[in-house]
Amino acid sequence: MNSSADFERRQRFERIVTAFHAALYRYAAWLCRDPDIAEVVLQESLLRAWKSFDALREDDAAKQWLLTIVRRENARYFERKKLEMVDIDELSPSQAAMIAVSSDPELDEMREAIYRLEDDYREPLVLQVLMGYSTKEIADLMGINPGAVLTRLHRARNKLRQTIDTAGCGTVARDSG
Amino acid sequence: MNCEQYRQAIAADPSESFDGGKTHAANCDACSGYRQELRSLDEQIARALAIDVRGLDLPGLPPIDDADRGSAGFLEQKSRRTSVFSPPVWAGIAAGLVVAVLLVIGFPGGDVSPSLAEQVIAHLDYEQESRRVTAVPVSARRLGDVVGSEVAGMDHDIGLITYAMSCVINGRTVPHLVIQGRSGPVTLILLPDETIEKSIGLSGNNVHGVILPVGNGSVAIIGEREEQLTEINRIGRKVADTVEWKI
Repeated sequence: MNSSADFERRQRFERIVTAFHAALYRYAAWLCRDPDIAEVVLQESLLRAWKSFDALREDDAAKQWLLTIVRRENARYFERKKLEMVDIDELSPSQAAMIAVSSDPELDEMREAIYRLEDDYREPLVLQVLMGYSTKEIADLMGINPGAVLTRLHRARNKLRQTIDTAGCGTVARDSG
Repeated sequence: MNCEQYRQAIAADPSESFDGGKTHAANCDACSGYRQELRSLDEQIARALAIDVRGLDLPGLPPIDDADRGSAGFLEQKSRRTSVFSPPVWAGIAAGLVVAVLLVIGFPGGDVSPSLAEQVIAHLDYEQESRRVTAVPVSARRLGDVVGSEVAGMDHDIGLITYAMSCVINGRTVPHLVIQGRSGPVTLILLPDETIEKSIGLSGNNVHGVILPVGNGSVAIIGEREEQLTEINRIGRKVADTVEWKI
């Protein structure tokens, strides 16, 4: 590849990564629940994205493309490391910092409640609330059907409501389901 | 759509993009109120998910040869190469490289090797976030991974250890720990391969400390400026008494 083409490729890559960096980082952090690991996953994802950057034809598709790479890289990371389950009572400083914002106890409680959600419930919630993804987009990214996405989102919110209600700071009434 | 169906649907999709939702809520005060509560919950969730984002740190992007483009095999090979390091080692090596670059830039001509003391202080500057005041200890597993890989043995009962990372100092991967001292965090860097004849004083940006000779290796102990040097030495001696280097 000549230097001019390489320069343009780098420019385009950096522009896209900069635009979506916050979303990618937060997605990775909530997937693995550890900012330090999220950093590693993100770095490896960006390197992988760079190597196959020519596969991205349309910039409009960049966010979904990058999120898919982060998702796969996260799975690879945990497959390689075979990490133990995180014990909420034995968090590393990095993990603890993710859910502790001492100036706002209600925010802390909600973060901890989300942190405790099963992966299957937490991920679609992040994609819907944080990324603004539709049910279909979430289904496509996660490789499940839209009905399963809706069920998981419904259960995720119910679990959060129950947790927050139990903690005594929530205002949402409980219902069945 | 009845109330039960509406509540099932809106709990999955508070934006109410599903068919019949708006009509039902317009004719049902209870469900309309429920929708409002759920949207309020979603605002809380959105705030909670929006964690602070660390600065963008792009990895080194290698030149792309035509043969590399879209080659899954190459990517897998690269992935396997990088995966031999555990995440603390990986991050530590990255930090070490950055420190090395900073040090070279900081020295006229770039051909003067920085001293061990300078490298230790530069590393602390780079990993400032390690020096947090916290009561949360690192897990035994993390500590074992970091210390056990480079050091034969060390009594973990040296204080509240709140940070453990494998880092690169002077080209070698070494354990970087932080314990909570009397006047803030105290950094310990175990240097099994750095033989020194006598103690070396350390002084940096709001920190000071010492590198103590320990057998064939050494230990760097660095505290905040407010920390008494006698306390830093006391911690250093305590570590020195318990550490065993690998032969």
